[in-house]
Amino acid sequence: MDVEIQITGRPIIAQVTTPTPLCDVAGAVVEFSGVVRGDENGAAIAALEYEAYRPMAENMMRRIIEELNVVHPCLMVQIIHRIGIVRVGEAAIWVRASAKHRAEAFDMVSSFMNRLKQDVPIWKVRALSSIEFDALR
Amino acid sequence: MQVATVKLLHSVLVMRILFFGQLKTITGSPAAELPFASGNAAELWQQLIALHPDLAKMRPQVRIAQNGEFAGSAARFTDTDEIALIPPVSGG
Repeated sequence: MDVEIQITGRPIIAQVTTPTPLCDVAGAVVEFSGVVRGDENGAAIAALEYEAYRPMAENMMRRIIEELNVVHPCLMVQIIHRIGIVRVGEAAIWVRASAKHRAEAFDMVSSFMNRLKQDVPIWKVRALSSIEFDALR
Repeated sequence: MQVATVKLLHSVLVMRILFFGQLKTITGSPAAELPFASGNAAELWQQLIALHPDLAKMRPQVRIAQNGEFAGSAARFTDTDEIALIPPVSGG
């Protein structure tokens, strides 16, 4: 299994340009985008700011994928997590799992997201209102 | 003379602790340096709370990372380790 992990300050959509290189062997390609919603704890927001303990976060994500691959074998898993300020409607995380069959790919993505939210040192450090967001521009 | 030298070296050993998430807000800093040559988690927390008393309320929720790995309950920490306090995570 190949694993690609990026933690980036740039919009994810601009980076997801390459198709999976496994089109001749993968029968399932499952993609998930975790997108910033327009409300946080009942209040309207314009953006979230994320930070990461970067080396540990990258290592933890790789280890989690390797552990999950034992039970949900995939051919390739690609992850991009955004840090810095992420606007409402933009993806904070993108995960793509390629596998021979759909069950493993779906399970890999779902299980990975559960583990990410328990053990990967990445944080939403603040929610920005429209006024706060506009002041940064 | 040799004993005095060893004591002097010991006295300047410091441990750097990284803070993330709300811990950065509580401490007002991304990192702290403690005069800490070696010890266990309880000893480390004792010094951290002496420096930043507001960390005490977060202690039950915070995990300690040692050189990029979550530290086990029996871990011992030294000044050569990279130590980070990991509050509850919220990525994705």
